[in-house]
Amino acid sequence: MEENNIEVKRLKKIYHEASVEVIAVDDVSFNVKSGEVVAVMGPSGSGKTTLLSIMGCILRPTSGEVIIKGIKTHEMDEHSLPEIRNRYIGFIFQAFNLFPALTALENVEVSLNLKGIKGKRAKEEAKQLLERVGLGDRVDFLPMDLSGGQKQRVSIARALANRPSIILADEPTGNLDSKTGHSVIELLRDLSVKEKSSVIIVTHDNRIMDMSDRVLYLEDGRLKNGANSKKR
Amino acid sequence: MVSIARKNLFHDKIRFIITLIGVTFSVVLIFAQVGIYLGFMQNASIVIDNTDVDIWITSKNTPNFDWAQAFPETKINLARETKGVLHAEKFILAWGVMKRKEGGTEQVEIIGYNPNSGIGGPWNMKEGRASDVKGGKHIIMDESAEKKMGEFHIGDEREVMNQKVKVIGITKGIKSFTTAPFIFTSYDTAKGLASYIGQDSTVFILVKTDPAENIHEIVQRLNERLKGVDVYTSRQFSNRTRWYWTVETGMGMGFLMTAFMGFAIGIVIVGQTIYTSTIEHLREYGTLKAIGANNLFIYKIIFEQAIVNAVIGYIVGFVITQFLIKGYEKTGLAMIIPNYLIVSVFFLTLLMCISASFISIRKATKIDPAIVFKV
Ligand SMILES: Nc1ncnc2c1ncn2[C@@H]1O[C@H](COP(=O)(O)OP(=O)(O)OP(=O)(O)O)[C@@H](O)[C@H]1O
Ligand SMILES: [Mg+2]
Repeated sequence: MEENNIEVKRLKKIYHEASVEVIAVDDVSFNVKSGEVVAVMGPSGSGKTTLLSIMGCILRPTSGEVIIKGIKTHEMDEHSLPEIRNRYIGFIFQAFNLFPALTALENVEVSLNLKGIKGKRAKEEAKQLLERVGLGDRVDFLPMDLSGGQKQRVSIARALANRPSIILADEPTGNLDSKTGHSVIELLRDLSVKEKSSVIIVTHDNRIMDMSDRVLYLEDGRLKNGANSKKR
Repeated sequence: MVSIARKNLFHDKIRFIITLIGVTFSVVLIFAQVGIYLGFMQNASIVIDNTDVDIWITSKNTPNFDWAQAFPETKINLARETKGVLHAEKFILAWGVMKRKEGGTEQVEIIGYNPNSGIGGPWNMKEGRASDVKGGKHIIMDESAEKKMGEFHIGDEREVMNQKVKVIGITKGIKSFTTAPFIFTSYDTAKGLASYIGQDSTVFILVKTDPAENIHEIVQRLNERLKGVDVYTSRQFSNRTRWYWTVETGMGMGFLMTAFMGFAIGIVIVGQTIYTSTIEHLREYGTLKAIGANNLFIYKIIFEQAIVNAVIGYIVGFVITQFLIKGYEKTGLAMIIPNYLIVSVFFLTLLMCISASFISIRKATKIDPAIVFKV
């Protein structure tokens, strides 16, 4: 019996934009176990990013529950949330969001620093993480001197700092050509198996479907196929 | 710890240099304004501060050392009889004119002291002795007077108030605030030269007191006894003179305003550069928050930027100020940078840079981490 790293219950998010109500996420419930890779798909505007932001404790839901490792994050106050993100969640972004003035190594180091790992130990761990994503020979490169795929690998290494239970990726291959994108997803898959973390990937890429344990389809904020579409 | 603050600063070198120029400019301007002001003020009370007495008695409402009026010299007897007074001495400051070497005249401040006690006499003798003013119309001038008076040497004859006098001593670094050169001479000669003071008058009475007695009580007693004069401790009279030139003439305000402008310019430049840098790095701050940084972490980055700017800008400014002091001395004027100023300008610079970064703090901590998902 594998435990749930994250549980989402009856999640709802309503945006109020210029007196218009937009229901971005509508009554969504599902769980993700450790070691599981879940793809979230759906048309543009269907609420994928909104859902991911709420799961990552970046955005607060209008109603519903987000339980991370048994912690009811929807009941916590605003200034406790950074700590939850820090401990349990690793983010990977379509635009990489690396720090341009920092080398690959330092980009990973910052994340370790935030998690209380400092000095020499942080440097060594950052180096190991970069080696794991295949960038052992690029540690001192600035982001601008790396290719798109390499940048995304650095951001994966950064997301892996301190072994988060949950990795949330919003279109991680959106800025990459299909071959590079493929290897990035393979890497993520690999890591989720080894680290027993839950990986949730928002994507438009149909091929990611084949590499994931499950696919969630969103349409107008609602899950189309229930919580379990495809089981491998 | 990786210092995102420093990495970002050094990454954008042009902006960093612009910020440093701003900070440095402020530091130099503040140092120069306060230093020049203190230099002037040192001259303003230089004779008071270098005369070894405890109390100065002046005519009523004398505003400063240079503009003192005469009063009856018989009052010295009352002073001598007052309890707590060990020693009292007559002392003159009178305005006069001196012939220049190349023709024409210059205003001078004639100082007459008792050469037997030496009280009120010149210090910092470069040539000759203060006691040599005895036995004739002998004067001592400061080497800085050569600019106005032309070259002079020991033994030279000059004319003060149409009377022949002989230079018997030269001092170093004794300059008046009014820029009129000081002419030190004996009390009697001074009275002869500035005969308008009147035979029975003096300009100051200088008093040495019994250190066992409370000086303020002695001042009180002298006030009651002598009447029609003002009695100050040396410190009070020194401060009164400085205060006059600082406040009554508005000169202090001028320096203060310019120094304040330096401070304001610094805030604006540092504020601008840190702010634009913050705006450009907003996504990074958002990312930091998304990956678990709290607001304190963000504060630290922005404050560290401010502090690095302040410290480096201050050091560069301080070094430039040292050269400025040397250059300024060549013009014969003094720029005084005491230790307390070195320390306070440093903290002022910190204050300047930190307050300049406050708007940026607001901007960076208000950033919605949801920005990270925007492409
Ligand atoms: N901050 C916001 N304020 C108001 N409405 C918003 C906001 N963010 C998203 N929305 C709306 O919520 C809905 C879902 O947006 P979301 O970004 O989650 O979609 P998405 O599935 O990620 O789309 P895409 O595939 O284009 O990235 C959209 O209708 C969008 O216009
Ligand atoms: Mg999206």
